[in-house]
Amino acid sequence: MIDVRNVDKSFDKQQILTNVSFHVNKGSIYGMLGSNGAGKTTMMRMLAGILRQDDGQVHIDNAGIYENTKTKQRLIFLSDHLYFLPQYTIRQMGDYYRSLFPGWDEERYEKLRTLFKLDDKQKLSRFSKGMQRQAAFWLALSTVPDVLILDEPFDGLDAVMRQKIRNLIIQDVAEREMTVLISSHNLREVEDICDHVGILHKGEILLERDLDDLKEDVHKIQAAFKEDAFDPDETDLDVLHVEKRGSVYVLIVRGTEKEVAQEIQSWHPVVYDRLPLTLEEIFIYEMGGVGYAFENILV
Amino acid sequence: MFELDIRSRKPIYEQLIDKLKQLIIHDVLKEDEKLPSVRELAQQLTINPNTIQKAYRELESQGYIYSLKGKGSFVHPSSKNGRKEELEKVREELKELFAEAMYLGMSREEIAELLKDVEGGERHD
Repeated sequence: MIDVRNVDKSFDKQQILTNVSFHVNKGSIYGMLGSNGAGKTTMMRMLAGILRQDDGQVHIDNAGIYENTKTKQRLIFLSDHLYFLPQYTIRQMGDYYRSLFPGWDEERYEKLRTLFKLDDKQKLSRFSKGMQRQAAFWLALSTVPDVLILDEPFDGLDAVMRQKIRNLIIQDVAEREMTVLISSHNLREVEDICDHVGILHKGEILLERDLDDLKEDVHKIQAAFKEDAFDPDETDLDVLHVEKRGSVYVLIVRGTEKEVAQEIQSWHPVVYDRLPLTLEEIFIYEMGGVGYAFENILV
Repeated sequence: MFELDIRSRKPIYEQLIDKLKQLIIHDVLKEDEKLPSVRELAQQLTINPNTIQKAYRELESQGYIYSLKGKGSFVHPSSKNGRKEELEKVREELKELFAEAMYLGMSREEIAELLKDVEGGERHD
């Protein structure tokens, strides 16, 4: 569905994205993660047709996006800075959207009203940040988009609204195979909803994987050995990180569960515990691998 | 139908598989009973439909369910041979638990007694 290939982008002389390629399947929810300033928003703005890439190809359904109205009519981009026309109410914005998006569904708009419980005759500028977010989702989902691109979408929403909106997105994915691209710093949130993730760092894609595969591939091991008869350097394991807390080793290793268990068992551990990693931990260790590490420094 | 623990470290897809297996093994879901559709479950639990799809596929390959095109997924009439893998896993878990029990001072007779209890309990059900 979304196909990005070898994309470069720079502003003035500053290179923002270098040779970025990734692919999002139809009906998938893809989480775009990245360090601060990695170029996530720039990438999303290109997907929305706001910016043009310097080099490479940005396609949705085998068609370009920049200055391509047809594709843009099937796509909604919710930026982290929402924009509404000045002095407009939700209803007026709705009428404006209806004139732009052929997919606009008035019935759906009415249905969503009961869910959001916002006054659509009230000026948007009077709304709080969270209410503006809700209004943006209300409008976006009323256009019945094929592709939904969300930049920090849950910012400012309370827990109940978050869940409601997530549920709405999932309904659209389940029922009509809407494709969703989400960027967020809240990895917990991405973890619950995404099936694929891509990590962007300094304008390059570090890795792109099925989320469950990624989790099955990296493990956190806690093990203790008799008389310290263990040397992490001597194992066949692909060790990403070693830490020794007292007599207990904490290892982050790559490999299948079986391989890892076998190898550790061959050292006859007294204690052996395997924990799946959270997305947050994966992110931190992968980032550590490229020198973007958390350092415990007292300032 | 059931809840998942989204705060657990265990991947949602594994949790789903485990929960559904439990329901099947304990006959909450009967033979040839239809499982909730991917859509229903996705909405009920607010989780990604692709994750559910994947869990269903895995359950199918392990022989717990079968699917009919356009109709949905159903509980497989318990063909025990499809559960070798599961059996192996349970055996490993038992071994560990036995080891722990013995370490804590449980005798062979006590374990045998327990086993008898479990067998008896099932017969009276």
